Amino acid sequence: MASATAKGAYAKTSLPTDLLPTDLARIVSQTHPALLLAAYYIRFPAFVADPVSTLLGSLLPLAVIQIVYATICLPPTGSSMKPMRKPKIGALKKTTAEGPPGRPLTAFFALLLCLVSVPILTILQVLFGAPATTHIPHTLLSSAHLALLAIFPLVYVHGADSGKWREIASFYSPIDEVFGGAVGCLLGAWLGAVPIPLDWDREWQKWPVTIVTGAYAGYLVGKAAGVWLLKGKRIELD
Amino acid sequence: MAKPSSPKPAPGLENSKSAALQAARAKALREAENKTNSSTRRVPAVGPGIASDGSKVASKEQETQKSTLERLSEKKKDLWLAEWWWVLGAFAWFLFIHATGLFFFTKGFLLTRLVLEEHSSCAVPPIAPMMPFKGAGTIEAGCWHPKTFDKAVVIIIDALRYDFTIPYKNETEAQAFHNALPVLYETAISQPQNAFLLPFIADPPTTTLQRLKGLTTGTLPTFIDMGSNFAGEAIEEDNLVMILRDEGKKIVHLGDDTWTALFPGYFEEELSRAYPSLDVHDLHTLDNGVLEHIMPLLQEKEKKEQWDVMFAHFLGVDHAGHRYGPNHRAMTAKLQQMDLMIRDVIKALDDDTLLVIMGDHGMDSKGDHGGESDDEVQAALWMYSKKSTFGRTDPTFSTPPATAKVRPVQQIDLVPTLSLLLGIPIPFNNLGKPIEEAFAGKKGTAWNNLAAVGSMTAAGIKRYQAAYFAARNINESTIGGPPNELWATAERTLSTKGKDKMYKDAYVAFSAYQEETLRVCRYLWARFDVPSMILGIGILAASIVSLMLYASANADDGDAVEDPGLDRAEQQMELEVFSKGIDPTDAETTSRAMVRTALVGTALGVATGPVLRIVVGGGSYLSFGLAPGAMVGLAAVLGQEMKRRTTLHNPLPTTFWGWLAVIFTISQSIGFASNSYTIWEDSILLFFLATFGLATAISSLRLERLSDRTLGVYHSFCFVILGWVASFSKLCREEQMPFCRSTYYASTNSSTSAPWQLSIPFILAAAFPSIIKSYYTGSRSYEGFAPVWIGWAFRGGLLLSAIFWTLNAADDAEMFPSLPSGLLKSIRVPIAQTILAIALGAGTTAFVYAPPCVAVSTTPAGSNASQNTATPARATVTILGYANTHGTRYLLLVLNLLLALLLVQKPMGFGALSLMTWQCLSLLEILDLNALTSSPIGPIILSLLGSLHFFKTGHQATLSSIQWESAFIPLHTILYPYSPILVALNTYGAQILAAVFLPLVVLWKQKPKKKGMLGSLIAAMAWHVGYYATISLATTMWAGHLRRHLMLYRIFCPKFMSAAMVLVIVDVIGVLVVLVGTRWNFMSVGDVFGWA
Repeated sequence: MASATAKGAYAKTSLPTDLLPTDLARIVSQTHPALLLAAYYIRFPAFVADPVSTLLGSLLPLAVIQIVYATICLPPTGSSMKPMRKPKIGALKKTTAEGPPGRPLTAFFALLLCLVSVPILTILQVLFGAPATTHIPHTLLSSAHLALLAIFPLVYVHGADSGKWREIASFYSPIDEVFGGAVGCLLGAWLGAVPIPLDWDREWQKWPVTIVTGAYAGYLVGKAAGVWLLKGKRIELD
Repeated sequence: MAKPSSPKPAPGLENSKSAALQAARAKALREAENKTNSSTRRVPAVGPGIASDGSKVASKEQETQKSTLERLSEKKKDLWLAEWWWVLGAFAWFLFIHATGLFFFTKGFLLTRLVLEEHSSCAVPPIAPMMPFKGAGTIEAGCWHPKTFDKAVVIIIDALRYDFTIPYKNETEAQAFHNALPVLYETAISQPQNAFLLPFIADPPTTTLQRLKGLTTGTLPTFIDMGSNFAGEAIEEDNLVMILRDEGKKIVHLGDDTWTALFPGYFEEELSRAYPSLDVHDLHTLDNGVLEHIMPLLQEKEKKEQWDVMFAHFLGVDHAGHRYGPNHRAMTAKLQQMDLMIRDVIKALDDDTLLVIMGDHGMDSKGDHGGESDDEVQAALWMYSKKSTFGRTDPTFSTPPATAKVRPVQQIDLVPTLSLLLGIPIPFNNLGKPIEEAFAGKKGTAWNNLAAVGSMTAAGIKRYQAAYFAARNINESTIGGPPNELWATAERTLSTKGKDKMYKDAYVAFSAYQEETLRVCRYLWARFDVPSMILGIGILAASIVSLMLYASANADDGDAVEDPGLDRAEQQMELEVFSKGIDPTDAETTSRAMVRTALVGTALGVATGPVLRIVVGGGSYLSFGLAPGAMVGLAAVLGQEMKRRTTLHNPLPTTFWGWLAVIFTISQSIGFASNSYTIWEDSILLFFLATFGLATAISSLRLERLSDRTLGVYHSFCFVILGWVASFSKLCREEQMPFCRSTYYASTNSSTSAPWQLSIPFILAAAFPSIIKSYYTGSRSYEGFAPVWIGWAFRGGLLLSAIFWTLNAADDAEMFPSLPSGLLKSIRVPIAQTILAIALGAGTTAFVYAPPCVAVSTTPAGSNASQNTATPARATVTILGYANTHGTRYLLLVLNLLLALLLVQKPMGFGALSLMTWQCLSLLEILDLNALTSSPIGPIILSLLGSLHFFKTGHQATLSSIQWESAFIPLHTILYPYSPILVALNTYGAQILAAVFLPLVVLWKQKPKKKGMLGSLIAAMAWHVGYYATISLATTMWAGHLRRHLMLYRIFCPKFMSAAMVLVIVDVIGVLVVLVGTRWNFMSVGDVFGWA
C-alpha cells in the first residue's frame, strides 16, 4: 500500500547507468568478465588448496581489475552523463560547480568506502550460518571479494548519495550493468551455499570456496543480464 | 474490507454479494471519500458496543437504530458460528485424510516378517545328531546335543557397552565409564577355560523390548513394533523362555518388567520380582530390588532347588546413561556396583550352573540408544562356569578383543548357544550360530563338537527357511542361490577324509551357510508392500492439492484499503439494507461445499469397501474401509473444486513472496532425498529464515514512511539475529560429527544441563514478559487482562518453571546429599503440576471469559477530531488497543500454551522456545508493515520456525534424541494418556507453538470488525498444514524410493516418522487449539464490538 507511492517517487529520480560513450569503454566492458573468469579459473586450484592466502593474494589484482574497469567504463559519481537531465538541474548544480573529482581519486575514495561494507557483508554471512568462531579470515576475505565485485562499482558510480543508496539497499535501483552485477554477485554467493552440506567429500566444498565461486559466477551473469536482458527494469516484490 | 472496484468479486465469504449491493457499496465508497478520514486509532462512536456503553450523546435516531444494530450483529454472529463448524469439519477431514495416507504408507513401508507358528520339540531334531549320544532326544541328556549345564543364570545389564568392560590403559584420558567394571576382563584373562568375553552386536533398533525379542527368539527384529516401547506385548513366536517352560524348567525372573509383558505367566511367581522400567530418573530402586532377591536364590539351599534358569535384568547402567550420560560419576558408581554384584554371584555359583552376563545394547555418547550407530549396537557378552569348559581355537584369542570390531558375535548367536549348552531344542525361528568359545573344548581343538553344533544349528536354520518360504508361497530355489550352494558344500565336506581337518572344514562350511542365510534374510525381510506405499503417497499428494485449492478459494487477494470512513459507510449501508428486512446473505461457502462433498464421497467410498474386499478376495476391513473412503472423498473434492473454477487460473505464485514460500517448501522437500540435507536440516532452515529476514528488511526499506521503514528493518534484523542466537543451542546427531558441537547439555557426553544454563529460565522470567509487553504497547493494547496475565501470571509461571529446573538440577548433581532421596522430586513434581494448572486450567478458563485487551477513553465534543466528522456534535471515544483487538487477545492463549511448553523443555530449550516466540512476534510486525498478512509466506515462515526450533530444543530426527524423561516432569509414574502427551509436547513443542501462533498472522493488528477474517484464517491454516504435508509427502516418497539405501534406518526412516508425527500433531492442534481458540476469541471480540 505505502510502497506504491514510494515506487512512484523512485521512478522519477533514478535511471539506469550507461557506459561511458567511448569505444575503449565498450571494449573494456566486454573483456572485463572474460578477464575475471580467466583469472578465477587459473587461481581456482590454488584457491581450493589454500583459500586464505589465495584470497588475500588475489585481492590486489582484483582491485586493479575493478579500478581499471570502473575508471575506463563507468561514469564516476557526480558526473552527469545524461544530456536529458542537464537542462533541468543545471541551476541547482551550481553549488557543486567545481566539477566532479578526477576518476582515479573517485576510484580511491570508492575503494575506501567499499571497505566499510566488508564487516557488514561478514556479519551477513555469519547470520546466514557461516562459522562464527572459526574461519574468520576466510569469511572476511570472501566478504572483501564480494565488496570489490559488487559494492565497489556501485560506490564509484553513485558515491555516497543516501537516497540512491536507500534505493540500492532496497534492491529497487533500475537494473544496469553495475546494479545487475551486484545483485547477481549476492545471489550467486547465496546459491553458493547449496553444495556445502553434501557428503561428496570434495576439497572444493570447504568454506568459503563455493560462496566465492557463486559470487564470481553470479556477478558475471548479473552484469551480462544488466546489459542485455533486464536493463532499466526494477525488481518488484509484490 | 470492501473492494468495490475490484475486477473480480472477492471469493469466499463475500463472493455472493449481489450486484445491487455492489453498486450501493460503490456509492457509499464515494460518499466516504468525500469525508475526511480520522486517525486510525480514533473511531467515531458508531459501533453497537460503544453506542451502548461509550458515548454520552445518543440521539433519538440512534436509539431506534440500536436495536436494529443488535439484531444485525446477532444475525451475523449466528452465521459466523455456523460457518465455523464447517471449517472445523474441513480440517478434521484433512486430518483423517492425512492419517489415512500415512497409515497406508507405513503399513507398506515398515518391515514385515511372517511369524511362523511352528515350535521346535525335543524329540524332533532338524537332522540326526552328527555324533549319536546316549539319551538323545531327552531333556535329561540333552535334546539335540549332549548338554553341558543343568542350570543357568542369565544376567542382563541393560546398555552394557563393550568398552565399559575392557581396561583403558591411559588413566589420564579415561572417562567415567572406563575401568569401573574390570571383573569380566580379569576372569577371561586369568581363567580362560572358565570365562570368555566378546563383543556382542545387537540388531537395531536398539531398544530393550526389541532386543529381548531377538535375544530369546534368535531372529531379526522388524521395525513395525518399534513404537510399542511404552508397553510390550507377549511373544508368540518360538523362543527360549517358552521352550524352557515347555521342557519343564522352572524360570525365575528379576528386574525389568518388560520381561513379564513379553512372557506373561512364564515365571515362578513366588520367586520372581518385576519392577517398572521406564522411570529413568530412578537409578537404584530396581537394581537394589534385584540385588536383594538374587543372592538368596543363589545361596539358600532350599530356594536353589526351586528354579532352573534365572533371568535377572538390571537397568541402573541404562538409566544412568539416559539421565547423566556415560561420562559421569553416577555411571562409575553404577558400574562398580555391578562389578561387586558379579563377583558375589561368581562366589555363590554351583559347578553345574552357567553364568551369562550381557548387555542388550550399548549407548551413544549421551547415554541414549535406539538407533544403529556403533556405540548403540556394541554390547558385551561374558560367559562363566566353575567347571572348565570353554576354549579358544587360536591362542591369540585368549585376550578379549580390544575393540568391538574384532571377533564380534551376533546377539542372536546366544540363542543356539544357550539352547545347546542347556540341552534344550533351538527355537524354531533361530538364525544365529553357536558361539565358538563355548563349544571348542578346553584345549580349543574339539572340532568334532563344533562341527556337530554347527551342523545341528545350520539344519535348524534350513528347516526354518523351508517352512518360511512355503508359508510365503515363495519357491525356495528362485532365491536360494548362495545359501543352498553353501549347504551342499558343507554336506560334501562331511564326507571327506582326514578327521580333524574334515570336522574343521565342516564347521567352517556350516558357519558360512549360517552367515549367508542371515544376510539373505536381512535382505528379504526388507520386504515392502509397494502398492500400499504408493496408495499412501497418492492420498497424501491429493490431499495437498485439495488443501491448496481450499486455501486459494479462501485467500484474501491483495491488500485491503484501510479507511475508517469507508468502514463506517459500509456499516451504515448494511444497516439500511438489514432494516428493510433483508437478512445478510447466508450463502454457500467453499467450506460448506467442500465438507459436504468430502463427507458424501468418503461415506460412499467406505460403503463400497466391503464389496471391494469380496471382489479382491480378502484383506482387512480397516484397509478396505479407509482406502476407498479416502480416495473417493478426495476425488469428489478435487472434481468439485475443478468444476467450480470455470477458468483454470495460473497455479504458480504471482509475487516474490509467493515464490519464496514455494521455493522454501519445495527445495527442502527435494533436499530430503539426500542424506546430507537431512542431516543438516537445522542449518538449512536457519539459512532460509535468514534469507526471509533479509528480504523483509529490503522490502521494508521500500516503505514510504520513515517510522514504518525503521520498524520494518528493526524487526527484520530482530527476527534474523534471534534465530541466529537460538541456533547456538544444538544437539548434534552422530552423522554431524565432527563438524558440530552439542551445547544443549553440559557436555557432549551428558544429558544434564550445565549450571550456567539454569540461569536462562530465571533471566527469561525477569525479561520475557516485558518483551511481550512491548509488542502490546505499540498498539496501546496493554490493557484489560493483559497486565495481570502477562506481568503477573505468566511471569510467575516462568519463575516457577525456573525453580523446577533448578530443583531438578540439584537432584541430578546430588547437591544436597543430606536430604532424603526423593524429597526433591516430591517437591518439584507439585510445582510442575501447579504450572500446568495455571497454564492450561486457569489460563484457558481466563481466555474463554477474558474481555479484549482494550480500554476506553472519551474525549468531549469540540476536540479536533469531531470537527472532521460528519456529526460534529458527537463526542469522540478513543479505544486504546482498538487497532489490535483480535491479535492481542488471542496472544494470551498462545502465552498460556507457551508456559506449558516451556515447562517440559530443558533450560536450553526453554531459551530456544522463548526466542522463537519473540521471533514470531517480530514476524507478525514484519508481515503487518509489509502488507504480507494475506500472503502464504507468513504461514510458511511459521512452519519453518517451528521446524528450526525443533532442533533448537534438543531434538533430531533420530529415535535416540527423544527425551523420554520429560514424561516424568509433572508425574511420578507412567500414566496414560498423559505420559505420551508430555513426550509429544516436549518433542514437537516448537511445531505446536508455531501452529498455535498461526491465527495471529491473520488477527494481528486487525480491527475488531474486519470482514473475511475466517476465510483468511482458513487460507493461512491450509498453507501452514500444506507445508508439513508436503514435507511429509516428500519424506515418505524418498524413504520409499530409497528403501534399499544403506542409510534407510539411520536417516530416511526416522525423518519420515518424525515428519509424519508432526503432520498429524499439527493437524490435531489446528482443529483442537487453533480453531477452537479462534472461535472463543471472535466470540469475545464480537460480543463487545459487534460482528463483522
